[in-house]
Formats: sequence, C-alpha cells, structure tokens
Amino acid sequence: MIYVIDHKDSFTHNVVHQFSLFDDVECDDFSKIDKFKLNQASTIVFSPGPGSPKDYPTSSKIYKKLKGKKRIIGICLGFQQILFSEGASIIEQNKIYHGFQSEVLVNKSSKLFNTGQKFKVGRYHSLKLKEPFKAENFDITMRCVISGTAMSFENNIDKIYGFQFHPESFLTLNGKLFIKKILSA
Amino acid sequence: MTKNYLLNEINSSNKSFILYKSKKGFDLFSDFSKKIILNNKNINKFLKKKLKTRKKLKNTDLFIGFFGYEILNNLIGVKLPKQKSINFPKGIFYKPETKVSLKDNLFYKSNSDKKVDKNFKININQKTYTKIFNRFKKKIRSGDTYQIKICTKYKNKSKIDPLDFFCRLAKSNLAPEAFMIKDKNFSIISCSPENLITKNGLSVSTKPIAGTLRKTKNINKTKALNFFRNNIKETKEHNMIVDMERNDLSRICVPGSVRLKKEKSVEEYKDLYHYVSLISGKLKKNVKNIDIIKAMMPGGSVIGCPKINTLNLLNNQEKENRNIYTGSFGFIKFNGDMRFNIIIRSILNYKNISEISVASGVVIDSNAKHEFNENFIKAKALIDLYK
Repeated sequence: MIYVIDHKDSFTHNVVHQFSLFDDVECDDFSKIDKFKLNQASTIVFSPGPGSPKDYPTSSKIYKKLKGKKRIIGICLGFQQILFSEGASIIEQNKIYHGFQSEVLVNKSSKLFNTGQKFKVGRYHSLKLKEPFKAENFDITMRCVISGTAMSFENNIDKIYGFQFHPESFLTLNGKLFIKKILSA
Repeated sequence: MTKNYLLNEINSSNKSFILYKSKKGFDLFSDFSKKIILNNKNINKFLKKKLKTRKKLKNTDLFIGFFGYEILNNLIGVKLPKQKSINFPKGIFYKPETKVSLKDNLFYKSNSDKKVDKNFKININQKTYTKIFNRFKKKIRSGDTYQIKICTKYKNKSKIDPLDFFCRLAKSNLAPEAFMIKDKNFSIISCSPENLITKNGLSVSTKPIAGTLRKTKNINKTKALNFFRNNIKETKEHNMIVDMERNDLSRICVPGSVRLKKEKSVEEYKDLYHYVSLISGKLKKNVKNIDIIKAMMPGGSVIGCPKINTLNLLNNQEKENRNIYTGSFGFIKFNGDMRFNIIIRSILNYKNISEISVASGVVIDSNAKHEFNENFIKAKALIDLYK
C-alpha cells in the first residue's frame, strides 16, 4: 500500500490517481496521519502543497523516522520537504513557474533514467533548492534545461526519490513512466 | 394563454419563478410547493435527503436554487471572518410544480416604470486594488498561493424589473449557464458562461473558464485562439485551473477515468472571448451528491489555487460578504442527476440595492492595472443594462 500525505494541495488527488495505477493508495491530511496506515504502507509519498517545508514539521518528523525503512517519494513541496529534512535550504526563485511546461535533462548520476534524455514536464513551484547541496547518497539527477534548477533527485541506497516538477500534471508527457520507474527501482 | 404572453402573465402575477438556460432555449420553473432556506444546520440534511423516486421521473421532480459562497466555504470546513453583510440568505432551493420550455428569443414587454440609477459605486478603487494585488503577489513568491482572484463589487440603489433586465441580457449575451430568479424580496440575474457540475448517472464533467479577451473589430475567434496560445501568462493560468479541476474530479472519480476531453478552446460572447476546457470522469459507486458538491464547490476557477489556502487568504482580505457571487446555481433531480453553474456575471437585487461582483486573477506575471480593468470589462455588460 502507498500512503500519500496530503499538504492540503489542489493537485494531491491527481497524485493519488496516478499512484493508484500501480498499487492501493491511501491518502490523509498531514495533520490527521493514521499511525496504522503509516506502519502498513510500503511507500510514503509527500504531496505537493502551498508554503515551504518549514511549515510542515510533522512531515519532516515522519521522514526522519522512516528513512531507510520504507520507500519515500516527494513531489514538488514533498521534494523540498525531503531535501529540507536532509539539511538543505529552500529559497525563493527569481523566476516563478506556475502552470509552466519546461524541459528537464537527465544527467549522468541517474541510475533510473538514461543520461542525456529530455522530458517535457509541468511545474508549479515558487521555491527551489539552494545549491550547492550535499547529503550522503543523494544525487541531483535532472535539471531544468534553461535555468539549471534541480528538478529531481535519487537516493538509490535508501530508496528515496523526488521530483520538483509534477509527474501527475497534464503538462507532463508520459508522467506515468516516472512513477513506474521509481516504484520498481 | 399562449407561450408568448406567458412571461408577461407570470411577471404580473407576482408569483416567484426561475428561468434557466437549456440547450434549445430556456426552462421556466414556477408554482413552488416548497422553499428551503439553507443554513449551516440544515444543509447536510438537505443534501443527504433521500429523494423519492417514481418509476417515471416527472420534469418537475427536482430542487432548483443556489448555494451562496459562504455556505460552500463552511461545507468544506473553511470559516469566514466577520464581514459586512446584508443578511441575504446563504442558499435557497425550490420545488417547482410547473416547468415550461421556451425558445431563446424570450418575448416580454416591460410596462412598469422602475427607478433605475445609472451610476455605480465601486467598493475598492484602483489604489486599494493595487495594494491588495501587491500583497497577494508576495504570497505567490513565498509559495502560499499560485493564483488568487481579487473580487470587486459595484453597487447602486435601483428598483428594477428583473425579467426586463434578463430578457435584454439574454438578447445581448446568450450564455450557456444564464439564469434568473424572481422572488418576493429579491431577484438574481446572471449570464454565467461557466458550468461547474454536470452529473448524469455515473458520468460527471466540469467546464472551467480561465482567460478573457476583450472583443475588438480586429479580433475573430481564430485570432483569439492564437492570442491565448501565444500568451504565456493566460496559458499558465489556464493550465493551473485544468490540473486543479482534474484534482477535484479525482476525489470522487474512479482512478484513471478523469480525462481532459476538450483542451483549451475559445468561446465567443458579446463583449469578450473565453478560454475554456472540458474535463470528465466516471464517479466511484459509493459517491453521494454531497461528496460531489464538497469536492467541486466553490468552483476553483473563480477562487485560485490551491483551494483551501487561497480561500483563507482571500476571505481574510475581503471586507464584504460575497453573497451569491462565486456560489453555484442549478438543480438536483430526484434521481440524483445534477447540473450546477458558477454564479458569475450576476446581479443580485435585494431590498432595492443592486450589486454586481467581478473578480480577476493574480498570478506571478499579472499587472494590477490590467486586472483592475479586466474586472470592469466583466461588469460592463451588466452595468449597461441600467442605461
């Protein structure tokens, strides 16, 4: 079972539907987490959401507790939430991407996607990862072709994955593929 | 009584009645046997009520009416701060006993001399608007909202003949979700173009509008489409609403069934062009009408995104109750089928005060002056009725 932790976003249920193609999905608000479901789940997904990771200390707590024990996935804010819990700074961008389709490029540190491959993806983020960023076993694996902003990371040791873009958006072509790859990794 | 004189008859009879745009013309609902005034206590009961179904559904086996903005917020757990209020009902539904189908060219001649004021007072001027606008832009920078709609209200004191207003509006601006309600102490006139819920059996769809272009001599439908396609700001705004409506449908639909049926097309109206999409899905079997209403209302395209946080931001900003504006009007049939619009482009006339509310969106690259003017464009077709 996949447990989606909802940060009160208006895209969370698109995420739920996309993950439902692969497994049973449960979804609860971040303030109403069910411990039983949390234990039962094989995968935890941190949803997109408004604000910044510092607004969701309970999600960071869950992350730290379950890191290495379960597969963990973060999307948009969820991506930032994981990196923030790993000590990263999440900062405002000069140019903001809401409802924007851009191209991302896979670099050679990716174990799941082919180096040099490009994808068209949908973006909804005000904030971004401040770089340089270093955490053990974490690699930035995709970047925006134009701005170079970090768009995805992989931690294949602990099975932790994140996308700054939205695989579930209609703006992301073949978004299913991203989820399939990280669930079967 | 022929159909031609029907509207004159019913209007002079002082009976309450409702007109609602149908595919071929308008449906006239009257002879109300029940009137339910909604509040936070009875709304759940009203929506959960098992409606008696006959073997054969009569065309009057339905409740028709509206939910105001406030009650829709409360229904999803969003509370409004204390606002200036005219104490207009939070929602009203009627059970009609008569339904008559009329053609598009409504035949009505007003013979009353009503006192109509041409001038309107706006509740926030451009300076205040810009201040609010800049505050919201900061909220977009910090990621607290991705798109938010600022509402402005035009008001005046007028005694109007609502049917006369509606017939003239229908002539100049035939909108697919137009409706009017005439009741004893109030009337509502709307040329809403936006359908929020169409539910037939297990199929459900929504048709959000995001993107408005003022008509000029040099623009036709094709040029309008090119304008929207090449305008990154309008496109982004629209994309966001499409993903948001996909999300709201996904709450109640079978996984994998939510589809973008029509992606970004243009619809033409009297003064403007709209950028429109159509999204549909198949309902999960255990979903009830109250679940559909809570998932979809208030309609995302007139609020902004993400819904809950954005509602809180704008509610804390707005000093006056929105009343009917960005609520929903429509009907629930006794077999559970529904049709609801989003109440925009509307006049609420209550105790001889007319109010017209409009809103336009703030996204990261919008411009305060442009959006303030867009609000006026949207109000213009209605304000013109007072001339």
